[in-house]
Amino acid sequence: MNLFSKTQFDADEKGYFGEFGGSYVPELLVGVLGKLSLEYEEAKEDYKFIDELQDLYQNYAGRPTPLYFASRLTKELGGAKIYLKMEGLLHTGAHKINHCLGQALLAKRMGKKRLIAETGAGQHGLATATVAAKFGFECTIYMGAVDYARQRPNVFWMKQLGAKVIPVEYGTKRLKDAVMAALQDWMSDVGDGYYLLGSALGPHPYPSMVRDFQRIIGVEVGEQLQLQEGQKPNYLVACVGGGSNAIGLFHNFLDDENIKLIGVEAGGKGDKVGENAARLQGQPEVGVAEGYKSFFLQDSDGNIAPTHSISAGLDYAGIGPQHAHLFQKERVKYISVTDEEVLQAFQKLAKTEGIFPALESAHAVAGAIRIAPNCQKDEIMVINISGRGDKDLFIIGEELGGDSWKEYLEERSKIIKE
Amino acid sequence: MNNINKQYEKIKKENRMGLMTHVVLGYPDLSTTRDAVLIMAEEGVDFIELQIPFSDPFGDGPTIHNANTKALSSGFHVKDAFDFVSSLHEKDAVQIPLLFMTYYNVIFHYGIEEFCKKAEEVGISGLIVPDYNFSAEAHDHFLEIAKKFNLILINFVAPDTSIKRMKKIDEDAEGFVYCFARHGVTGAQKNIEASLLSYLEKVKTNMSVPLAVGFGISEAEHILAIKVSADIAIVGSAILRSLEVGGVAGVREKVRSLMEVL
Ligand SMILES: Cc1ncc(COP(=O)(O)O)c(C=O)c1O
Repeated sequence: MNLFSKTQFDADEKGYFGEFGGSYVPELLVGVLGKLSLEYEEAKEDYKFIDELQDLYQNYAGRPTPLYFASRLTKELGGAKIYLKMEGLLHTGAHKINHCLGQALLAKRMGKKRLIAETGAGQHGLATATVAAKFGFECTIYMGAVDYARQRPNVFWMKQLGAKVIPVEYGTKRLKDAVMAALQDWMSDVGDGYYLLGSALGPHPYPSMVRDFQRIIGVEVGEQLQLQEGQKPNYLVACVGGGSNAIGLFHNFLDDENIKLIGVEAGGKGDKVGENAARLQGQPEVGVAEGYKSFFLQDSDGNIAPTHSISAGLDYAGIGPQHAHLFQKERVKYISVTDEEVLQAFQKLAKTEGIFPALESAHAVAGAIRIAPNCQKDEIMVINISGRGDKDLFIIGEELGGDSWKEYLEERSKIIKE
Repeated sequence: MNNINKQYEKIKKENRMGLMTHVVLGYPDLSTTRDAVLIMAEEGVDFIELQIPFSDPFGDGPTIHNANTKALSSGFHVKDAFDFVSSLHEKDAVQIPLLFMTYYNVIFHYGIEEFCKKAEEVGISGLIVPDYNFSAEAHDHFLEIAKKFNLILINFVAPDTSIKRMKKIDEDAEGFVYCFARHGVTGAQKNIEASLLSYLEKVKTNMSVPLAVGFGISEAEHILAIKVSADIAIVGSAILRSLEVGGVAGVREKVRSLMEVL
């Protein structure tokens, strides 16, 4: 199996995907990023590193994940034949464990002692705290105060794993602020600290490195579909926050331009500033923040705009630079779906297939629900179920649980008070 | 000759160290910023960094970050920065070199060419942009454009910058080089790291421009400690703190205490 292949849409040696990406960081990070790039290039060529990673993928994370034919959903939508790539069945519940294992191995190789990470939904933080426990690293996780409040179960689990979880109280108190807090922590501890970035973004080499550790998703899809259907997919659909699960699914297929790729952004509550996290709809604007050049939601002075999404993992103003490039080259089509469509998609997948997708992944399902009915019956669509919905119990409970859910919470809090 | 170089010649003639201080534009409001700048100029500060607030100030610790957020939420816009500098020159007759300090997206979004043109027009001498480093130059041509408009884009070095890279940075360096005193973000701190002096000596041997040292330089004693190796001291958060605690009078007192040891 070839884990690390290149495509025509990859970065040059300075980390530029066309005009996007690069490394826009204070001189304080230039040295450590340079070392990281070198170490990563070496590790990719080291069969021992690759063997160890593959062993962890299989025996720790639970790879390969199933590629499951969703027959009832297919029938209901009446178009393309729908397969689900079940990344949510991985240990810790989402695809994030893939790049955490890869990066933890790299941190170990570099002799680092402490992992630093940001998290939105808490899935990346959870996966980081998990690998920190497994490898014996200290661990500090930054989380926007808003996300900290709405993803409390994950905060609790991270602490159980021994991580220090720090709510970030400045800015918009969301993922972007957590990214900055983590970068700043790293800036103060470049010797012992390893910044374990949680998506395919940030300064070079992160966008390429995170993608490489995620591209196993698409590699497996190719092999599994060959076995099950004897053919390639026609459509691939994934949600796009920073872009790691989407690029992980797409990358293996980028050079095959017959395959249609669809990224789904968070349309949130509406079109106004602060109501969504749809960076590539309307008139996307190029900017530079958090160490990379890409499309960012921003105001008339270039300040990064506030965002909203029902899913914390997509509630982010920037998008990984390779996605910016794929958008500009029109290789991937990016659509957006609303919070409401997402909740409907969540319920539909639960009721037709017995699967709870994470709210992030439910965006991909909602995108597929829109597109699949217009496809031919012999076309194959693969949806990336990047995570499972367990972590979203409290949000979905509030949205769909009605009075009985509220009563339950009140009862629990009464019991605790007593 | 650029005003920054002129001022440095004056510093050398007076056989002392230089001082660069810092304000966040519009914090807590523009008239206070103006008062603070005028006091700094009166007290004999050599250079002033005027920070244009940004939503995501990458290199700044909590003190300056909060000042950025507050300035923005009270309605500060980039165009106000240009007007402010115009009036400092025209109405208040400020003579010392003024530099804009901000994050790259503010300039990138404005249009690099437009921004530099405007900055030159209002009489800015240099730009300090911590999240831009020369590896982006082939794509962004920021240094080249700044030069075209007679602005000095200040370069940086860090404690772990290699000698090879220092020499490369030195090729295009003008005015002075901003030496990060330590790894971290802006913010006052108690002690100066022991390794600082040997690092500064390394910079001195390998670069041809004056050394300005900032990040964690907050007290007169810090300035005394770096005096043998540094040419200019940069004080940011500590002055902001004195503004918060003692208003503009606090700024005057703080600046005086720093000036005394130059
Ligand atoms: C399950 C799940 N899917 C998707 C995402 C979005 O991230 P990315 O776009 O990097 O895959 C997250 C982020 O937290 C997530 O938890």
